[in-house]
Parts: sequence; C-alpha cells; structure tokens
Amino acid sequence: MNRSDLQALRNPLLALLAVLVAGTLAIYTTDRQMEAARQQLLQQQAQLKQAQVRLQKSGDEKDIIVRYLDRYRQLESTGFIGEEQRINWLDGLRLANQQADLFGVDYQIGVQKPYPFAAEFNPGQLALNQSLMQLRFRLLHEGDLLRFFDVLARQGAGVFTVDQCLLRRIDTRGVIRFQPNVSADCELSWITAKIGTGPEQKKP
Amino acid sequence: MADKLLIGISAQDATVAYWRAKRIVECRTFADNEAGQAGFKEHLAQFPTVPVHIVVDAVEEDYRFETLPHATGSDRADMVNRKLKQHYRNTPYLSAWLLGRDSGKRRDDRYLFSALTNSELIGDWLQAVIARGLPVAGVHLMPMVTAGLLDKLDVKASNLLVVAQHAGGLRLTFFRDRQFRLSRLTRGDSGKAESNTRYFTDEISNTRLYLHALRTMTLDEQLTVALIDRGDALQEAAAGIARDNPSLECVRFGRRDLAGRLGLDEALLEASPYAIYLHLLGLKEPQSNLAPASVTVGYKRYQARRGIYAGCGALAAAVAIWSGTNLYNAWMLRGDIEDAGRRTAQLSSEYREITRQFPRAPTTAEKLKKAVEIGQRLQETTHSPQKMMALVGRALDASPSIIVREFGWKYGTTEISTEGARAPATSAAPAPVAATSTGPALSRKESALIEGEVRPFRGDYRSAIAAINGFAGRLAAQPEVAEVQVVKLPLNVNPALSLSGNTLDNPEQSSSTADFKLLLVFKPSI
Repeated sequence: MNRSDLQALRNPLLALLAVLVAGTLAIYTTDRQMEAARQQLLQQQAQLKQAQVRLQKSGDEKDIIVRYLDRYRQLESTGFIGEEQRINWLDGLRLANQQADLFGVDYQIGVQKPYPFAAEFNPGQLALNQSLMQLRFRLLHEGDLLRFFDVLARQGAGVFTVDQCLLRRIDTRGVIRFQPNVSADCELSWITAKIGTGPEQKKP
Repeated sequence: MADKLLIGISAQDATVAYWRAKRIVECRTFADNEAGQAGFKEHLAQFPTVPVHIVVDAVEEDYRFETLPHATGSDRADMVNRKLKQHYRNTPYLSAWLLGRDSGKRRDDRYLFSALTNSELIGDWLQAVIARGLPVAGVHLMPMVTAGLLDKLDVKASNLLVVAQHAGGLRLTFFRDRQFRLSRLTRGDSGKAESNTRYFTDEISNTRLYLHALRTMTLDEQLTVALIDRGDALQEAAAGIARDNPSLECVRFGRRDLAGRLGLDEALLEASPYAIYLHLLGLKEPQSNLAPASVTVGYKRYQARRGIYAGCGALAAAVAIWSGTNLYNAWMLRGDIEDAGRRTAQLSSEYREITRQFPRAPTTAEKLKKAVEIGQRLQETTHSPQKMMALVGRALDASPSIIVREFGWKYGTTEISTEGARAPATSAAPAPVAATSTGPALSRKESALIEGEVRPFRGDYRSAIAAINGFAGRLAAQPEVAEVQVVKLPLNVNPALSLSGNTLDNPEQSSSTADFKLLLVFKPSI
C-alpha cells in the first residue's frame, strides 16, 4: 500500500477510527452503567434481606429491649456506657476514702486508650476504652484496701478493674495508735463502652 | 447485489448497460466516432461511482493452451508471467487461466493464456471511464463471457459451437465438454436470407476444418450448433445448416426463448447484440481478467473503501447490539432495583409499625444486649488482691516466724516482676499486645511477690530456710496456686555462687536478718 492508496482510503479509515472510538466509548459507558446497576441491585437485595430478617426477628427484638433496657440505663447512668465521667470517679474516690476511713488518696488519671482485652468480650460494634488511674494511699491495716475497693465499686461511679497493687508495711517503731501502718500503690482501669455507628432502632 | 456498469466494446461501437438489482435497467449503444465518444462521456457522467466491467468483442484476440510444470506461490506467478511476456510482448491486456492439472504422470498445470492484441481498440473508451473516475473491475474477452451461456441454454453436447451474429461479424465459439477451446470472429454479413444461410454454413464448415487442423475434434464427430437468433431472423439459416450438414445438430434459440432462459427483456435483446453478454457478465464475472493492475488500481481502492465501510457498518452494528444489550440489561436491573426497593420500603414500614409498640430504646436491641452483657461480665469477673491476701493470711497463721514486709499483687498477662515490687505509678508495666477490640483474647492471671523475713532469726540459717520452705510449701498446697517460687533466701547456697563469712561471729549478737522473697502465681482460670 503506497501513499496514494492511503490518501484514497483516508476518509474510510477515519470513519473506521471514529466508529472504533465511538464504539469503545459506547460499550465502556454502557458496561459501566450495567455494572453500576448490578452493584446497586446487590446492595438493594442485601437491604431487602436485612429488612426481612429484621421484621422476622422483631418479636425477639422487643423481648431483648424489654429485658435489657433497665440495666442498660443503669450502666449508662454509672458512666460505663457513653463518654467517660471522670468527675464521677473523683467523687467516688472521695466518698470511698471517707467511708473506708482512709488517710487520703492521691490519684493520677492517664489518657483514654482502647481497652486491650476487649477481644475477650467480643464487643462487635461497641468500642471499649480504658483510662488508667494510679492511686497512692495509706491504710490502718491491709483489710482497709479491700474495703476501699468494695466501697468504691458500690459508689456506682463506673466500671473498673484492679490491675496491680503494692502494699508496704510502714515502720511505726512499735507504737500502737490510730495511724497509717501500711502504704498502698494501686493501678485501676476505668472501662467505658461507646456505642458504634450503625442502624439504630428508635421509637419514632 | 451492488450496482455496476457493464460495457461491451467492439470495433464498431460501445454498449453501456447499467446493472441494478440483478438485472440490466438501462442499455445504450454509442458508435465509435467523435459524436459517439462525446455521448459516451456524457452518459457516464450521470452514474454514481460504480465499478465498470468491460467485455471486448474483437478480431484481435488470441488464445493459447499451455502446459507448465506444477508450481505454487510466487514460483507459479513468476513462471506464468514469463510465459505471458514471451507470447504477448505488445499488449498489457493479457491473462492466464489455470484450467486444472494434466492427467499425465507429471500432473502439470494446464493454462489458457489469452490476450487482446490490439489495446487501441478499447483505449479511448477506457480512457473516458478512467477520466470519469469510475473504477474498472475487469476487461474480458467475449468468448470467456460466452462460457456462462452454456448453463443458461442447457444444451447437453460434448462438442458445442455457439454461433451468434454480432455488429462486427459472426462469432463462433467452440466448447468441448463445456470447456472453451476456440473462438473466431469473422467479418462480413450477406444481408439476404439465402446468402445468409450459405454464409453461416460456410463459416461453420471453416470452423470445423480449423478444429480438425488443430486436432481439437475430427470431422466425423458429431457437432451441435447453438444458433443465437436474437432477432428471430435465422429460421431458414438454421434449417439450411442442418440440411447441408448431416453430421450437425443445429439448435436455434429465438428471442423469446433467449429472453426466457436468461431472464432478460426482449426489448434489450432487440436493442443490442451485446445485451446477452453484458447480462451474463453482470451475473458472473469470468476468471480471465485481462486488465493490468494499473487499470484496476481504482477498483482495488474502491473495494478497499467498500470493505472498510462495510467493516464500519458491521462494527457499528455489533456495537449497537452490544450497547443495546447492556442498556436493556441495565434497564431490567433498574426494574429489579426498584422492585427490591419497594419491597424493602414495605418491610421497613411494617417493621416501623411493629416497633411503635416497643419501649423507647437508645440503640438497637443487639447493641443494647451486648453493652449490658459486657458491663455485667466486667463487673462479675473483676479481680482484686482479696483471694491472694486471704490465701497468704491462712499460710501465715501456720508460720508465726514469717513476717511479711511487702506484698505486691498483679493481674495481667505477665507475672509480677521478681526484681522487687515497685509502685504501679513508677513501674514499667508491660503493655498488652493487642490494643484493639478485634485482637486475640489475651490470657491473664494473678501473681504476687511476697517480701519478708524470718523472726526471730539468731543466725540460724538452717531453721530460717526450713521456715521459709515450709511457708512456701503451704502456699503451694492450695489448689488455686499454679506456682510458688522462692526467689530469695537468707543464705544463698547455690553452688554456682561464692559464699563467705567468719565462724567466730556470734550469731546471737548478729544484726543480720533472714530476708526472703516468694513469687506466688495463681492458675489463669482463678
């Protein structure tokens, strides 16, 4: 094929090129449209299935709400569910100190972090967090430590776990009177649960 | 079938037929003179760009049957071209037609070489066609086109001579076993019926003698003459031929017969003797094309253009089908989406109606349940030093000489450090590995480090160590205890270490103490 042949075939070749480009574009565009529709259908079908299951389980759902709602409210009021209630913790510490007849409690609260043992509870869409609290206080005797934790737990200031404690006997040189005989350094984890985003069932 | 122009050229005139929808729709003849040429050009101007097929009826034609060694590809082409140039030096209008393989041992290739030896005959006409820009598809000799007539006439004869009166004279074409062997165009026409019969008879006899001389057929062999009588004027001649030559069978085809067999208008048969051949050329183009590449280049481009446009059309159709299918599928899918959406909305509506009777809840039932269960489990499984302290207290009751100075307790994935319990605020507590809610569950256990001394000591290491070991043994005997390890004793009797002292020292007055350290570990489930 020489130059004059190409010149003679210029228009048909341009037409072929135009058809190729337009055809590719048309097929690509319609393919995309079809694929998008297919994806949309899959999503819609998933939503439909979800709605079917939700409707089927609506009876169970009501039972669950009735059964757990009060306890949920209670945990919410104690500060376990929702944002941290550090003021409640401090109030709880003060009251526990008074009620356990301690000699004052030094505290230090660290930054909030994800709870490292959350996997033990399979929390799903709930986010479990912890804030470490270092406590330093003095006791009349060892039994006051356990009494202090019991009182603190009863305050309803939140949910906590004791991670570690160190009790040291204070040298009083044999003098017996109302004075601290044991020092305690303890670490607590205040644990909170945050409800994750997702479909919520609320009464309209 | 595509439109085309069919042109029959003779020494006297040129006949132009326009072929459309498998038939000739228009036919005009132009004389070979100045006026005829001008009319020809003017006539061509009214047609669109359609391919032109030319058939030439001329005396200046030549046919040669050749046998060449069998070859293929470029070897065959080179050999055939060489042979054509040997035979026909002065004309570009030549052709080689492979008839088949020889029956001999060598099975050589049999060729029919043909040529138009006077190219000037078609020069002016062809020039006008090319000047008009019409693509020339091919130039053929009249006898090659006549071969197509045999099927239409349906004459079952091994030796057949087709005889037809043309403008330039009488055309006699001989076929043996339906294969072309010879053709003659004789000049002259007597005009009268009587002399017409004589003229036809003479020319047929001459042709028979010529065939005999060429050893194509003998004079004794039966010959069938197909007399093409488009004007219905050769009844007497046909009868005369049969009468004068007993070894001849003469079959006359009149106008109506021809028109019926060929599917051609009788008016066209009347208009031109070449209408028959142009019609045959329109139906099927013979293989022997005389036109050189320089003449057919326009047709090649025309074919290429049409091929590309056809490809465009096919491509566009395929794209249209593909895209249409995609759009149809998308439309159907959208219908399904809408249907599913409607059903979802309906189910959601039913669900909402049901949930109106539910107590007001801050979140979904699932999350509600999960949050409560986690909170309860955390509170129920919370650990404190209580158990460990109670256990140590019971062991101490049976070991009055053991004094505890320091008690460290830890609940974690690792045991408490034996290097000395430190206040949690300053300790470098090992960070748990999994810090996410989705990480693997980590096993935790309680452990304690007890630091104390044996009192009273009085330098009696043996008794002190026995008391410590007894204390450790009592702890280890408890079912919840996994391990008790004496980390430090008052006297290190380890043979791997050095030991020094003075035997003159009075143990009673010694101020040394019997310190010890015990590591106590609970089983993980406790």
